[in-house]
Amino acid sequence: MFENIKKEFSTRTLVLIPIAIAINIAIGELVVRLKLPVYLDSIGTVLVGAIAGPWAGALTGGLANLIWGLFNPFAAPFFYVAAAIGLMAGLAGKRGAFQNETPRWVSVVVGAVFVFSLTLFILAFINASTDETGYTSYPSMGQLFSQYIVAFIAAILIGAAIGYFLLQKGGYAGMWGLITGVIAAIISAPTAAYVFGGVTGAGTDLLVAAFRASGGGILASVLAQGSVSDPFDKMLSFMVVWLIVRSLPARFTSR
Amino acid sequence: MAFVILKDLAYQYPSSTGLVLENISLQIQEGEFVSIIGPNGAGKSTLCYALAGFVPHFFKGEISGEVEVDGRKSSESTLDEWALNVGLAFQNPFNQISGAKYTVFEEIAFGLENIGVPRDEMKKRVEDAMSLTGISDLADRSPYSLSGGQQQRVALTSILVMRPRLLVLDEPTSQMDPVGTREVFGVVRKMAEEGMTVVMVEHKVEWIANFADRVIALKDGQILIEGKPNEVLTSDLLIENGFGISRYTSAAREARKRGLWKKEKLPVTLDEAVEGFKS
Amino acid sequence: MNAFSMYAARESGLHSLHPLTKILMTLLLVAAGLALPGNWTGYFIVVFIIFPLAFWGRVFLNLLSTTWKVSLPFAISVILIQSFFWGEGTPIFEIGVLSPKWEGAMFAAVSMGKIILVMSGFLLFSMTTRPDTLMITLKQAGVPSSIAYIIVTTLQIVPSFQRKALTILDAQRSRGLETEGNLYVRARAFIPIILPLVLGSLMEVEERAIAIESRGFNSGKKETSLIEIPDTPLQKVIRRVILFGIFAFIVFGVLWRL
Ligand SMILES: Nc1ncnc2c1ncn2[C@@H]1O[C@H](COP(=O)(O)OP(=O)(O)OP(=O)(O)O)[C@@H](O)[C@H]1O
Ligand SMILES: [Mg+2]
Repeated sequence: MFENIKKEFSTRTLVLIPIAIAINIAIGELVVRLKLPVYLDSIGTVLVGAIAGPWAGALTGGLANLIWGLFNPFAAPFFYVAAAIGLMAGLAGKRGAFQNETPRWVSVVVGAVFVFSLTLFILAFINASTDETGYTSYPSMGQLFSQYIVAFIAAILIGAAIGYFLLQKGGYAGMWGLITGVIAAIISAPTAAYVFGGVTGAGTDLLVAAFRASGGGILASVLAQGSVSDPFDKMLSFMVVWLIVRSLPARFTSR
Repeated sequence: MAFVILKDLAYQYPSSTGLVLENISLQIQEGEFVSIIGPNGAGKSTLCYALAGFVPHFFKGEISGEVEVDGRKSSESTLDEWALNVGLAFQNPFNQISGAKYTVFEEIAFGLENIGVPRDEMKKRVEDAMSLTGISDLADRSPYSLSGGQQQRVALTSILVMRPRLLVLDEPTSQMDPVGTREVFGVVRKMAEEGMTVVMVEHKVEWIANFADRVIALKDGQILIEGKPNEVLTSDLLIENGFGISRYTSAAREARKRGLWKKEKLPVTLDEAVEGFKS
Repeated sequence: MNAFSMYAARESGLHSLHPLTKILMTLLLVAAGLALPGNWTGYFIVVFIIFPLAFWGRVFLNLLSTTWKVSLPFAISVILIQSFFWGEGTPIFEIGVLSPKWEGAMFAAVSMGKIILVMSGFLLFSMTTRPDTLMITLKQAGVPSSIAYIIVTTLQIVPSFQRKALTILDAQRSRGLETEGNLYVRARAFIPIILPLVLGSLMEVEERAIAIESRGFNSGKKETSLIEIPDTPLQKVIRRVILFGIFAFIVFGVLWRL
């Protein structure tokens, strides 16, 4: 175990990490310049995970946020989230997610299942009711299905379309990205809610506000916001890294 | 016994399909200045990596034969131990900047910090090395603000300051003007005179003829011909194999066909050419 | 110095303090601001301690404008959200369903105080401490030198990456790549820009690693350092006192809330 970790931190990896953090920052800025509605500021972190392994990925993510914290102290408390993203990318890499192609139907299933669960989650959230004693009760699945059947069918179709056209042959990488995004949303929520009152100064704050207006508590609202924006963002990041890894010459990947 | 011994060296990168080095046997004496020439893809850089221990320790891949420096085999040593004796500087200077330092002076001291040289000695060694290569005036500049040629000098100085016993240079003057090139050859010659063994990959044959003790021509991973600079650099084999040769050599070859060049030896440098045409 | 950092090279007493003294000082101020009772303690410390320190370090305007820039979007968000979504309270005004509450705005202002304190404290530290001296200090304090190498190198190479990204953007544009227009057009421009950027830099990794290995990066010997970080016996004493102070504030902060 310890030997393996040491092997991950070869001189190559130590040289790669600063480059990866610089890539995070440069691409993050590019996205702003192109006015794209995503962050994509962890592509470098995911890349290190994919090429060098989970521990190297985790270190890259953590350090990226701490260094970014020298400029914008808001980023620093989320260092552990970034580390988790790098770690997940490493685990995905170990399972070949960035090397392999998946048949397109797998991508379709991944997309459909994901958008379906997201819809379920949000509808359950919106329809939750809090009684006088502060106890929150959620609607049952059956209730939701009968009430929103059209929405669910639409969700499955949209998800399938996303899978087919966007994930294409990178369904496996995309799936890892989605899972990573869900984890990121869950573990960042407490910090966002309790340290920053659910506010980060980004456009997604509006989403938090909207969830709160619909009656959610602060933690739940932050979580709901995160589950809408994070998985999509991380899915795209993992997909981009999948593309990159596949365009690398053999001398880079045959190690 | 020779200081550097290569015995039947053959090597292949993990991702390459055939041998990149093949059948390389070679002996180099201590304090000798050997120059390597060869067309693109001949394996010059790979040979440098083999001398500096990066082949196979860093690149992995399949190796056979031996690389021996000062009686020690690279296969029985670690890269870190090897690097203490053998220094490598290569073509692209930008990638040789450590990135961890803010001034040229600190940049050159980086290696000495890594091997634990005490501060006072470190300062002295850095100053000496910088004045040797003529970059003392760059001391306080940021390494990133320099021209390519200046960066190459910094890269060379950063290795020289480590005082390796074997110095391996892979096209260290590619971005330098003639003045800079001349100075680098002069410095390298001087180091050889003081007992440092030097292997230098270069294209600039006129300078090689002036300064090197021996030339090795490499093609397709094998030694095509080796010997005294003047013999190798004027040999027909080079032309037949598409090597670049000195313009004075080609001029004299033409002249010889027309009976204008009488001497048996062809020239490589301007001086030799002038000398030959005079007689 | 063209590095990616907040460091502002000046001659000042604050600059010449030992990095460890400065970081402990920052932590002390933050601990005080978070531990002491009172809604406005954070603002108080910022105005009466951090600002004078910034004057001493000759970075006052710099600090003011950076803190302002970094916290403004956050402040706007906090104030709007806390006031508009505050439950019961005194309305500031009412237009239909919109009725922001004074209590929410006050709460936002109070929580901003803590955040501005943390922010300005750490920014002041970054502005008056050279990243490489900080790293040497951290190494002496036991941080692995590979971590220190990563941090300093990152700060150095980020600007060149920002430039590279813009160069590639321009180059692709001049080859007819559309980067303006609807979302689809802009999204399609993304990959042709980042692929060359990322692939190009990955190609450099190998040579960079070889270069530093040739210079004893992994020699396993005990490192020395060229730069000497001046320290004084007085500062050593002060650091002990500060450390005690931080500890005291933490204990106080916890007890007081129980
Ligand atoms: N890291 C590597 N992995 C796989 N193959 C490599 C690697 N480096 C070089 N090669 C291949 O090995 C052969 C020899 O390359 P090498 O760089 O040693 O040649 P060279 O003589 O230095 O050429 P140049 O004049 O272009 O510098 C080439 O075919 C090259 O493609
Ligand atoms: Mg070469």
